[in-house]
Amino acid sequence: MNGSKTLLTSYVSQPGEIKTSSGKTLRTDEMIINMGPQHPSTHGVLRLEIVVDGEIIVDVIPHIGYLHRCFEKHAEHMTNYQQVIPYADRMDYVAAMNMEQGYAVAMERMLKIEVPERVEYIRVIMAELQRIASHLVAVGTFGIDAGAFTPFLYAFHDRERILDLFEMTCGARLLYNYIWVGGLSHDLPPQFIDKAKEFCKYYRPRIKEFNDLLTYNEIFVKRTANVGVLPKDVAINYACSGPMLRASGVNWDLRRDDPYSVYDRFEWEPQVGKGEMGTVGDTWDRHIVRMREIEQSVNIIEQALAGIPEGNVQAAIPKRIRPERGEIYARTEAPRGEIGYYIVSDGSTTPFRVKARSPAFVNLSVLPEISRGAMLADLVLIAAGVDIVLGEVDR
Amino acid sequence: MGSNGKIIRKKDLNIWQKAYLTEIFKGLRLTISQIFKPKFTYLYPEVRFKPQPSFRGRPVLVHENGTERCVACGLCSRVCPALAIEVQASETELEKERYPIKFEINMVRCIFCGFCEEVCPEEAIIMSNEYELVFTSQEEAIFGKERLLKSTEEMKDRLEFLRAHR
Repeated sequence: MNGSKTLLTSYVSQPGEIKTSSGKTLRTDEMIINMGPQHPSTHGVLRLEIVVDGEIIVDVIPHIGYLHRCFEKHAEHMTNYQQVIPYADRMDYVAAMNMEQGYAVAMERMLKIEVPERVEYIRVIMAELQRIASHLVAVGTFGIDAGAFTPFLYAFHDRERILDLFEMTCGARLLYNYIWVGGLSHDLPPQFIDKAKEFCKYYRPRIKEFNDLLTYNEIFVKRTANVGVLPKDVAINYACSGPMLRASGVNWDLRRDDPYSVYDRFEWEPQVGKGEMGTVGDTWDRHIVRMREIEQSVNIIEQALAGIPEGNVQAAIPKRIRPERGEIYARTEAPRGEIGYYIVSDGSTTPFRVKARSPAFVNLSVLPEISRGAMLADLVLIAAGVDIVLGEVDR
Repeated sequence: MGSNGKIIRKKDLNIWQKAYLTEIFKGLRLTISQIFKPKFTYLYPEVRFKPQPSFRGRPVLVHENGTERCVACGLCSRVCPALAIEVQASETELEKERYPIKFEINMVRCIFCGFCEEVCPEEAIIMSNEYELVFTSQEEAIFGKERLLKSTEEMKDRLEFLRAHR
């Protein structure tokens, strides 16, 4: 591991020139390479303008906006506050439940609604199931980018079971429109709790299997350890959040540090990168933090399923949402980090302004910082480790 | 290359580790063990995925023995976040007095959110279990009454589900 590190630093120590074996200094020229917008490894329509010196990356400039759908402007032109929810789904389409939950939490704080306990428990179960599904996409596609195709199929196999649970509950497999302001669109079907318990029981051994197959695979470790190291201070300066921040050794999880819903009732631990295979904050750390978070999510789901109270899930849904003049910023922990909604109300039935602080957009901005000096082939892994969803980057 | 022109390689690996054979076989062992497990995938066009009654497919209008339940109140059109529904009301001699003379859903705009079903007071517009939607032109994607109307018998599963879970 140390070998590859010295190799990289020796390359960037003198950019722009190389020495031949006879001791002659040759000047090199920089080249600009375009990656994307139609590239399988950019996970969507992201264009990366890469300045390379030979095989070494001098700079990366992400160009975004190919999937911009005016979410914020669109939200201002709805007939009521509830109608924003299907569009909030479409921001991070891999983790739609968490996007809805963030909006619902913000609106409930604005309207000062007390949500029934059953609703909070169901929301926690759904959000954590969605977190598992989202992390499975992240680690599965990360495997593909590292050259491991099989783990992707395993990850999607398990994700499909979670989507079956969602379909059973609310009828949709990807964009749910399930978590509403003040409640839920449907109550849990009677067989849901057994099916979800069955899933947790089935899924625990699969995490170990997946780790054996991919995470601790020597080839995978060699590709990811010491690549794209994000130091703690840089992560904080760039306002990174989620697994990206935690992998750099910062113990920060909004579920614990800015509690919402009923997360304070369950026993679980935020997972922090420890640099077991290389440096703290490398891409392997980001991967293992996601894998461990999956395990923690299973813990939370099991506890929530055991303690779910009875109640009417639609009792607190307001007939007409008309908040007073004012503003609110509420943040929740989505799989990719802090999703914050800043909502301004002018006293009418439509939002005056909705601003979404999306985690993937902020995390993406650190990409140039962590990929300078890396090899071009590693950029694919670094970008995959950031785990961007372009629907959320562009909104 | 580098400051002294030499590429530094790691030397602490033996020949087995260099070939990464143990890692490859570890992966292959797991893959081969999967062969004997039941298949998880469908052979799609031959075997079709059968959605549960909770599934939200394309919206349809319900008719009872040829008369539509819809009274053309226009709530669905108003609540639709994607502005996909257009309703024009007209009067009739029947008991309900009003019916939609024109009811169009633009399936290109529809986002399958289910708000129309939720808001409908007559249980007239509901989500079906159809998920295969292919169009070759924009005009073809605008579904009129003739393509939207389904009988109560056809939509029995969904209507029962709605009665039980709402």
